[in-house]
Amino acid sequence: MTIAKIEKLDRLIEATATARDARGGSLWRQSIRRMRRSPMAICGAVLVGLFVVVAVLGPFIAPHDPTAQTWGREVFLNRNVFPGPRAENWFGLDHLGRDMFSRMIVGARQTLMVGVVATLIGFVAGAVVGGVAAAAGTFGGRWGERVEAVIMRAVDVALAIPMLLLALSVAALLGPSLRTVMIAVGVAQIPIFARLLRGSMLAQAHSDYVLAAISLGVPKGRIVVSHILPNSLGPVIVQATLVLATAIIEAAALSYLGLGNPDPGSPEWGTMLADAQRFLSGAPQLAIYPAVGIIVTALGFTLLGEAMRESLDPRLRRQE
Amino acid sequence: MSTEPEAPGGAASRPPLQRADEPAVPAKAPLLEVEDLEVHFPIRRGILVERTVGHVRAVDGVSLSVQPGGTFGLVGESGCGKTTFGRAVLRLEEPTAGRVRLGGDEVTALRGERLRRFRSKMQMVFQDPLGSLNPRHNVDMLLAEPLKVHGVGSREERRKLAVETLDAVGLPKSVLERYPHEFSGGQRQRLGIARALMLRPDLIVCDEPVSALDVSIQAQVMNLLDELQDEFGLTYLVIAHDLAVVRHLSDRVGVMYLGKLVEEADSSQIYERPRHPYTKALLSAVPQPDPEVEATRERIILKGDLPSPANPPSGCRFRTRCPWAEDICAEVEPEWREAATGHRVACHFDL
Amino acid sequence: MALLEVEDLRVAFGPATAVDGVSFAVDEGKVVGLVGESGCGKSVTSLAIMGLLPKRSRGNGRLAPDTEARAVTVEPAGGAEAAESSPAVPSAPAPRTAIGGEGRRRGRGADVDGRAVFDGVDLLSLPSAAMRRRRGRDLAMVFQDPLSSLNPVVPIGRQITEVLERHRGLKGDKAVKEASHLLDRVGIPDPARRLREYPHQLSGGMRQRVLIAIAVACAPRLLIADEPTTALDVTIQAQILELLRDLVESEGTALLMITHDLGVVAGLCDEVNVLYSGRVVESAPVRELFARPTHPYTIGLLGSIPRLDLPMDEPLRPIRGSIQDVIRWRDGCAFAPRCDRVTEKCVAGEPALVGAVHAHRCVMAEEVA
Repeated sequence: MTIAKIEKLDRLIEATATARDARGGSLWRQSIRRMRRSPMAICGAVLVGLFVVVAVLGPFIAPHDPTAQTWGREVFLNRNVFPGPRAENWFGLDHLGRDMFSRMIVGARQTLMVGVVATLIGFVAGAVVGGVAAAAGTFGGRWGERVEAVIMRAVDVALAIPMLLLALSVAALLGPSLRTVMIAVGVAQIPIFARLLRGSMLAQAHSDYVLAAISLGVPKGRIVVSHILPNSLGPVIVQATLVLATAIIEAAALSYLGLGNPDPGSPEWGTMLADAQRFLSGAPQLAIYPAVGIIVTALGFTLLGEAMRESLDPRLRRQE
Repeated sequence: MSTEPEAPGGAASRPPLQRADEPAVPAKAPLLEVEDLEVHFPIRRGILVERTVGHVRAVDGVSLSVQPGGTFGLVGESGCGKTTFGRAVLRLEEPTAGRVRLGGDEVTALRGERLRRFRSKMQMVFQDPLGSLNPRHNVDMLLAEPLKVHGVGSREERRKLAVETLDAVGLPKSVLERYPHEFSGGQRQRLGIARALMLRPDLIVCDEPVSALDVSIQAQVMNLLDELQDEFGLTYLVIAHDLAVVRHLSDRVGVMYLGKLVEEADSSQIYERPRHPYTKALLSAVPQPDPEVEATRERIILKGDLPSPANPPSGCRFRTRCPWAEDICAEVEPEWREAATGHRVACHFDL
Repeated sequence: MALLEVEDLRVAFGPATAVDGVSFAVDEGKVVGLVGESGCGKSVTSLAIMGLLPKRSRGNGRLAPDTEARAVTVEPAGGAEAAESSPAVPSAPAPRTAIGGEGRRRGRGADVDGRAVFDGVDLLSLPSAAMRRRRGRDLAMVFQDPLSSLNPVVPIGRQITEVLERHRGLKGDKAVKEASHLLDRVGIPDPARRLREYPHQLSGGMRQRVLIAIAVACAPRLLIADEPTTALDVTIQAQILELLRDLVESEGTALLMITHDLGVVAGLCDEVNVLYSGRVVESAPVRELFARPTHPYTIGLLGSIPRLDLPMDEPLRPIRGSIQDVIRWRDGCAFAPRCDRVTEKCVAGEPALVGAVHAHRCVMAEEVA
């Protein structure tokens, strides 16, 4: 065996080994790497990023005060005169003579907050409910199974109620306010998250590595927290992204129905859409701006969520 | 009965190495003793009120014992209950009846925390090397976890032990930071074996340890299991469908059919002179990698499929497929008898 | 003139080559084996011959979602190894399209090159409609996983009569009668009743028999069997092998047997081609191959198998490393990283397949001979 040959072989094997290393890393890191190459993910991320930037910087970049009725005298409601887009007011004026463009920009923050807070409420509460049910059903013995059955039947009942109706009842209980919208939309999402996490956890609970953990003598609580849960979160996180989109739309719907924020001082896309309906025939643009804003944002979150779903899907995980 | 297992990991606290040097003399106390183990799964029907309409008798009264340092091979086809048996021995499946003793401790009597602590003495190697490793844990976490949960060593000691064990299974310590999906099938199985070894157990149940691997890798893993047995003084219960694999690894072999042992003997005996028709058929069904042997080999082709374990045939369970079956086979269940020294069989006839 | 002549077949999935110049022939009434481990290209070869590989689509560059992807040979093979070569895992995932596990990539189709001349016609250049007509009639295929190869919501009778109708023009009672005759032929008791049953009501062995019945329904001249017994128990495997042997003998069907099991090869095949990393490394008549294995890979495979017919203390001599430790053939012998007899010559150039009857691709063996 000559040295040259051994060196060459070593080099070749090293080459394949390093090529392998370049693709290594934890599953999360791999999914992120995969997402960076997906056009869908990039589109979604750009839209969401834009939205977040506007929401954060809104009050600072808005050209005018969104609440000031500066051009009130130029608007004639009974004659349907709403000065349209012009150099001074890019999106025109609303029915009180306020600058639509500024209102849209400032309104983004409230819209985002509604979406995020509502989703967080649904995610956290749903995850707790679903997680407890799954953990009880898997390791709680006979009693645990009963606990799980009770929880999940309650979840089923909640799921059977149309989401908007559920949100409406919550909103009716709490009275119209922004907080109401967030809680109402969030509560309506709880059963979805609960079911999803429970299903995902039960699937993981039957996997070989959980059996391996049991056979190693890993305590039950630790199995749930360190084995089952991390492997079950993927689909739930994806769902959260998708729910963010629907939450924004639902919040808009609640606002539209008059359960949103009654405070005219802080613009919000859903409320703006509700306000615009009175002038729909004369000034459709007033409805179109917030509607398009909501749709584009929802689209951004949906694209991002779908891309995440694809990159986390265990069936596709092996391709790289 | 010792209630608390001594802290594993400290190799000095237990002398497994000595055990390996001693020959497996049948007169010695066995390490693992299983008596009449039964695992029945209820078949439940009904939507609102569940009622039990029958039982799948996955394991239906199996007794065996394994000498310290020995390897017992359990062979059978899918659905014969061999996997359930292995899991019941480790209490991963609840036995319906019967007793399992490991080194004098009654495994079947342990509950809760005592059972959890006891698990450090008995480990398992799984068939699917990828599925049995948590995809989100890297090798370091995989190997440290068993030590952590049994409170063994400090962080540094655990890492040192992990590196030692990796070395024993033929993996470099550079793999510690890597994740299961970055390995090949054979390497993953090595990881699975390393994890089972971390607690330096007495008994390892290997459930189809090589059947998911490529042929050239199977041989590597089998040789590894052999080496480790000597090095760590392990006792194996090998569960497999492949007769050649079992023959290579085991010194004693049991053949299972529909939840029962049909034959048990030393490995050399059972392959030389199988006494149960099912063992004969199994042996004759394995194709040999030699065209000359294949051309002349007598094949016993069994009729039909495995009957349902929920409703096993009367008398001898194998009679529906047995080429030698007679009337008595349907009426009387054959007794488990010693046909030759150390060679037990459940058949009415001397074939 | 052979019935099927495969010449210099190449299949690439994007940058990854799965099959790299494979040539072999199948004579009428003969059984030819393609042997190798996961990722060696044996399944891709058969799928290419059958025209079942996803074509490289330039439009959207995307395949049907069920053509699940796995790693290519030179990359860490994910679970491909586990799924591909798991004799005891009946649940081994095989996508509904039954495209095997080797070297496919999502988002790209396959580039197929070379010729596969069947009965004077190059199958690879045949338009897909013409290929569809031939498939099932002239050449038929049996897959590893019988459950996913059968339609779960259609009774098996209809699945058989469908084929009879399409290719043999049999209708109504005639087709049913023929179907029942076919089931009887493959050894399924009480065929009339079985015809009305659904795939899930049958056992694994029965399902494989049904698949074989469908495959031989039109008396094809070539049957391709891709690991047909891998998912089955030994006693059932023996039944199926017996059935295949019988079909070949009585009908004169040629059989291309794709397997990882050298035991199956020894008992069934006339000719054997051993594949490694997309190339034939050794090819010989079966007795010759087992009596005088020449390529170190073949020798290694034989040394890796525990055998029932040898003394118990016979040690196993495994091949070191794993299937992922390959170099490109262009850089030398792909097996070199795992070979015990490797020398500088092995990585100096591309080893050629030499020899007529007993061919091998090893520079060292060349020297010895």
